[in-house]
Amino acid sequence: MSGEILRVDNLWKSYSETPVLRGVSFEVLRGEVKVIMGPSGSGKSTLLRCINLLVRPDKGRISLEGKEVFPKPYDSIHRIRQKIGFVFQSYNLFLHMTVLDNVRVGLIKVKKLSKEEATKRAMEALRIVGIGPELWNKYPAQLSGGQQQRVAIARAIAMEPTIMLMDEPTSALDPELVGEVLNVIRDLAKQKMTMLIVTHELDFALEVADEIMVLDGGKIVERGKPSEILNNPKHPRTRRFIERLRRRVEHGHR
Amino acid sequence: MIFINIKVIEEYGPIILSGLNKTAILTVGGFGMGFAFGSILAFTQCFGGRISSRVATAIEESLRSIPLLVLMLLIFFGLPEVGLSLTPVQSAILAIGLRSMAYQSQILRSAILAIPRGQIEAALSLGMTKAQLFTTVIAPQALRIAIPGLVNQFTIDLKDTSIAYAIGVSELFTEAVHVAQVALDYLTPLVFVGAIYFVITFAASSIMSRVYKRIAIPGLGASQ
Ligand SMILES: Nc1ncnc2c1ncn2[C@@H]1O[C@H](COP(=O)(O)OP(=O)(O)OP(=O)(O)O)[C@@H](O)[C@H]1O
Ligand SMILES: [Mg+2]
Repeated sequence: MSGEILRVDNLWKSYSETPVLRGVSFEVLRGEVKVIMGPSGSGKSTLLRCINLLVRPDKGRISLEGKEVFPKPYDSIHRIRQKIGFVFQSYNLFLHMTVLDNVRVGLIKVKKLSKEEATKRAMEALRIVGIGPELWNKYPAQLSGGQQQRVAIARAIAMEPTIMLMDEPTSALDPELVGEVLNVIRDLAKQKMTMLIVTHELDFALEVADEIMVLDGGKIVERGKPSEILNNPKHPRTRRFIERLRRRVEHGHR
Repeated sequence: MIFINIKVIEEYGPIILSGLNKTAILTVGGFGMGFAFGSILAFTQCFGGRISSRVATAIEESLRSIPLLVLMLLIFFGLPEVGLSLTPVQSAILAIGLRSMAYQSQILRSAILAIPRGQIEAALSLGMTKAQLFTTVIAPQALRIAIPGLVNQFTIDLKDTSIAYAIGVSELFTEAVHVAQVALDYLTPLVFVGAIYFVITFAASSIMSRVYKRIAIPGLGASQ
């Protein structure tokens, strides 16, 4: 099965006169993993938020599986969002719910599945991200950051989205916890989950990305195969940016 | 204790206690009304449009700046002027309720604002509607965070029922004053009602703190 899952055309967004996105266009095909990189403030989060309509773009066009999402949504916004999984930098689990409830609440309330069916699916999703039954009745505050982020990924994949958006899923984690989360995302990529990921994990991007897009000043300044972008960037600003990331990794910061 | 006349308590205690009934009605009625309308105000302030949230804030602030006694007298003596006469009990409940509403909306609003914004985005990303977001994510957490403040407000409302003395509601304090006038002893009845207010306040606080512990969740406002 191939085909276009997401298409973004000439997307613009300003916050009080300051342009943050300035004509961004790209597409993601079924089963592809695309990575977005770019300096702080370049508009990466804003771009992802526009795609699932948490932020309303000013201009442009977004479509999902060939159907228009912006400016004229083909369905209600909350039904469209069900098809787009979102993983946040800061996990954003529901603090008053157990791990299991976090993962099944969307299935029960939004998808209206029976409790048994929802529980079954939630357990499956938790197994995929390697969260064992001994943690299912714990609350988020009792988990490590890496475990919380894996639960957040389970919450998103349990909804069986057509695409997953991830906004720096590992950058809030202690370095020793980054690996477990990246491994989960790697597995999803192997299962051909369609994903659009903002990350600055260079080795990970090199391994899983079909394409890297570099965002700078609200524009995609460079895009291509990971090996080209990471080893031989054309744009001088991209080159400096990648060098900075390399240095950070060597010094052990993330 | 030398100032307290046990005989007065023996003779008039039951009369004073007969005021408990009205005190309970005013407390529960006022607090309940305050919670119902306070929730609406808080919700409007947090999620309403610009104009409706301004109006809600104006209502809240004006009610907080009028002394309860003045508010109660205004309702009891003022409303009949516009063709709405309420009984003393109804007037007292309305006054206590409006005042409680103003404070409870403030308590509930800060509880709602204490919920991390990211959880709201996460709920919306799952495809929840605003109503689902409110009932499954915001309300359960906001209530847990608000409990200590709400219990505190409950005890304030309880003690403020004594102001209904001014419009002749026969609640605890009014009964105590009447007894004082008959028995020609002010201290004993006042110490007696003071002790009753203390016991109820203390009981309410300890029951609520037990409830609070039972529904506590690690990492949420209600723990520890
Ligand atoms: N809600 C908002 N209101 C006003 N300005 C905003 C808002 N959200 C983002 N911005 C601004 O838009 C610009 C882009 O922000 P964005 O969060 O998209 O960048 P980013 O590439 O994700 O950065 P980072 O790497 O730091 O996460 C920044 O200058 C930011 O200050
Ligand atoms: Mg960002």
